[in-house]
Amino acid sequence: MFGLIGHLTSLDHAQLVARDLGFPEYADQGLDFWCSAPPQIVDTIKVTSATGQQIEGRYVESCFLPEMLAAKRIKAATRKIINAMAHAQKHGIDITALGGFSSIIFENFNLNQIQQVRNVTLEFERFTTGNTHTAYIICQQVVAAAGQLGINLSDATVAVCGATGDIGSAVCRWLTARTDIKELLLIARNQERIEILKEELGCGVAIALEEALPKADIVVWVASMAKGVEVDPKSLKRPCLMIDGGYPKNLDQRFNYEGVHVLKGGIVEHSLDIDWRIMQIVNMDVPGRQLFACFAEAMLLEFEKWYTNFSWGRNQITLEKMDMIGQSSRRHGFRPLLDLNAAPLVAKSF
Amino acid sequence: MQQLETTSTFDYQSEHYKDAYSRINAIVIEGEQEAYDNYRKLAESLPDSKDDLLRLAKMESRHMKGFQACGKNLSVTPDMAFAAKFFSQLHENFQRAWGEGKIVTCLLIQSLIIETFAISAYNIYIPVADDFARKITEGVVKDEYSHLNFGEEWLKANFESAKAELQEANRQNLPIIWAMLNQVADDARVLGMEKDALVEDFMITYGEALANIGFSSRDVMRLSAQGLAAI
Repeated sequence: MFGLIGHLTSLDHAQLVARDLGFPEYADQGLDFWCSAPPQIVDTIKVTSATGQQIEGRYVESCFLPEMLAAKRIKAATRKIINAMAHAQKHGIDITALGGFSSIIFENFNLNQIQQVRNVTLEFERFTTGNTHTAYIICQQVVAAAGQLGINLSDATVAVCGATGDIGSAVCRWLTARTDIKELLLIARNQERIEILKEELGCGVAIALEEALPKADIVVWVASMAKGVEVDPKSLKRPCLMIDGGYPKNLDQRFNYEGVHVLKGGIVEHSLDIDWRIMQIVNMDVPGRQLFACFAEAMLLEFEKWYTNFSWGRNQITLEKMDMIGQSSRRHGFRPLLDLNAAPLVAKSF
Repeated sequence: MQQLETTSTFDYQSEHYKDAYSRINAIVIEGEQEAYDNYRKLAESLPDSKDDLLRLAKMESRHMKGFQACGKNLSVTPDMAFAAKFFSQLHENFQRAWGEGKIVTCLLIQSLIIETFAISAYNIYIPVADDFARKITEGVVKDEYSHLNFGEEWLKANFESAKAELQEANRQNLPIIWAMLNQVADDARVLGMEKDALVEDFMITYGEALANIGFSSRDVMRLSAQGLAAI
C-alpha cells in the first residue's frame, strides 16, 4: 500500500475543506486549533496502471498549514510532519510521499534526528520526497513545451530559480547532460552552494533573479518568488516559457502577459481515472487524472514494489535514478502535463 | 528559515521552575493515586479481569512513588490540595458512574481519558525533564500504554453494547480534560511543555484508542475534538 502526506494551501482553504468534508468541529477554527490537530487519513485511493496492475493507497492530511511557518510556529510545523509520518507507518503503509512543504520542512529542520515518535520508531525507508520524479517531469516539460512554443533549446537560455535545492540541482544536472541548451543561469540565495553546483556541472552562470529574467527564454521556478520583486513585463523575452514548480501554483497570475506562457510544473496526467477525491480539493483542472509528480512517485514505487526511500536527503538525485523513475512513469501510464496557461492551483470555494 | 530548537536548557533549581513544578508534580502524583483507586474499584466490578486490574493498580502505586521521588529530588513540595481540586470533577464523575454500575463510563474516564492524558503529558515532558525525572518517566510511560491497552481491549470486545454509552461519556468528560489542560498551561510552559503539543499528542493517542475500539475515522475526528473549540 502507498501513502501520500499532503496539506492545504492556507487556513482559509483548510476551513473550506473541513466544512466541505463535513467536519464542522474543524471548520470554524483558527490557527491555534490547527497547531493542535492530529493527522488524519481522509481518502482511500485506487490506481490502475496502463499495464492493468491495480494498487491501493491512503491520503494522510498532516494538518500542517503554511501560516505556521509565517507565524514562527516552527515546533508545530515540524510536529505535523513527524506525526503524519508516524500515522502512515502505524497504518502499515509501505511507501509514502512527503508532498507540498512536508519534505522541505523535513530537510530544513533536520527531522531525521527525530526517529522516536511516542511508541513508534520511524523507518525512514518507508518514505520518499518524490523529488526524483518531480525533477524528471519538470525536465520533460521543459523539452516538450519548448518544442510546442518553437523555442530551439540549442539557442535557448534557461534560468533555474532555486537551482541549489534538491529538485533545482537535479534539473540543472539533467539539462546540462541531456540537452544542448545554450546557457544555464543559476539563481539561488546561497552563493557557496551555487559555486559547488557550478563546479559539479562544469557550466552555468550565477546571477540575480532580476538580471536573469530578461535574458531567459525558459525559467524553471522551483523556489517561490520572493515578495517585493518587481518584474517589468516588457523586459521579458517573447516567447518566454515559465515552468511553475512551486506550491501553490500562482505564477500565471503574476505573469499574465501576451507571449509569456506559464506551465504548471511537476504535474503529471495519468492515462486512466484515479478513484479519489483529494485532487478536487487542491483544484486540479482534471482531478481524476492530474496529480503532483511527487505523489505519483509513491504510486510508481508501489507498482514496482521498490520499497525504499527512493528520493531522500539533499542533492542525491542522479541521472540514473531520473531515468529509472522516468521509465517506470511511462510504463505505468503517467505523462507530463503540457497545458500551457491552465487555470491556477489555488483555493477557491466549492 | 529559522532553526528548530531540539534541546532546551532549564534552571531546574530556580524558584520559578520549582513553583510551577510543585503543581505539575502534584497533579501527576494525584493522577497516579486516582488511577490506583479507580483500578481497585473496577476490579470489584469486573471479577473476570480482577487479577489484571489489581496488577495495574499496583503499577500505578509504584508510579506514584516514582514521581514523589522526582519532587524530592528537586526539593519541591507538591501542592496536593491543588491537585485534588484539579481532579475533582473527573473524580466525581467516576464515582457517580461506578455507583450507577456504568462500567463503560468508568473505563472511558480511567483507561482512556486519564491514561491518554498521562501518556501525552509524559511524552511531551520527557525531552525537557531533568535527568532523574526523565529516567523515571520513561519507565512509567511504557506501563501506561499497557493500561490504555486494557481499556481498549475490553471496550473493543464489548463495542456494540458500549458504543452509545461511550459517546455520551465522551461528551461529558472530554471537555473537562480541555479545561484541566488550560488550567495548567502556564505552569506546563515553564517546564517547557507547549499546550498545543499536549493537545495534539492527546488527540493522537486518544484517537488511536477510539479507532482500535471500533469507531470509524469520521467518528474519531468528531469524538476526539469534542469540546475543544470552546477552550
